[in-house]
Amino acid sequence: MQEATFLILTALAAGSQHGYGIITDVNEISGGRVRLRAGTLYTALDRLRADEMIGVDREEIVGSRLRRYYRLTPAGGERLAAEAARLHANATAALARLNPAGGLIT
Amino acid sequence: MTGPASLERGYRRVLACYPRAFRRENEQEIITVLMATAREGQQRPGLAESVDLVRGALRMWLRPGPGRPPRTVLNAVKLMYAGAALDLAALIIVVVTAGRVRSAMVSRDPAQWNFVLTHLVAVEVFGPIAIGVWLWMAWANGRGHDWARGVFTTFLGLTTLSLLGWLAGSAVLYATADLIAVTVLWLVQMAAMVLIFSRKSASYYRHEPAER
Repeated sequence: MQEATFLILTALAAGSQHGYGIITDVNEISGGRVRLRAGTLYTALDRLRADEMIGVDREEIVGSRLRRYYRLTPAGGERLAAEAARLHANATAALARLNPAGGLIT
Repeated sequence: MTGPASLERGYRRVLACYPRAFRRENEQEIITVLMATAREGQQRPGLAESVDLVRGALRMWLRPGPGRPPRTVLNAVKLMYAGAALDLAALIIVVVTAGRVRSAMVSRDPAQWNFVLTHLVAVEVFGPIAIGVWLWMAWANGRGHDWARGVFTTFLGLTTLSLLGWLAGSAVLYATADLIAVTVLWLVQMAAMVLIFSRKSASYYRHEPAER
């Protein structure tokens, strides 16, 4: 799973969000490192919808502009959990090998 | 016209390169996001965001169709992209070295001038066409269009004929490199052909692809 996809699913894990909300949340989750642009975001959202990882929660018109809210589906939640577990296991293994004695890495 | 209206028009012009079905579904919403992320006083789409949108449009055009294609079709599509990349690499090599080859061949044997010129022009003209066909086939097979298998078979037939031509010794220019390139391309095409005609791919080509 690409990092942008992982971060988008993570942004939706806490509740439904619209496109701009996802962009700001992904920026925050990644500590300002990942700044999604609209083209990248909507290509990913389209693919995730096709794969039934996310769905449309609701639509709103705010100031004559359309806002579509996306939510994580159960399949998307499972996929995100599996990916998070995989990354966690890899990170744990890496840290254990870097520091077999259990002390601080310097 | 200046200000937000002009900026929005600029964004809509860039979004026009997306498939129609995607635009109908998402354009209003993408405009909302683009306008929300625009800088204060921005008059027109920035270069980076335009590149990002065009890249997104390309992905949408080249994306496999609805319903996940079987792995055999996905692998065939990857091979087709690889074929386009190989043809592009060959074309770049020919274009870069054409001048030197022309002068070397003519100084060695002026009688071959016509042949050299014809061959190089043929490569420079048909190379981009072949790249276009590879990309077209990757798109169409990824979408599950049944006619694409027929077109790809014809494409393989043409490559087979040019390979036989090389083997018959009708070409002397770039002799070894040409032969290797055509053989590799032929093998890539053959592998893709086996994949799209495999039993696992058959059902995917029976569904009706959605509008783009």
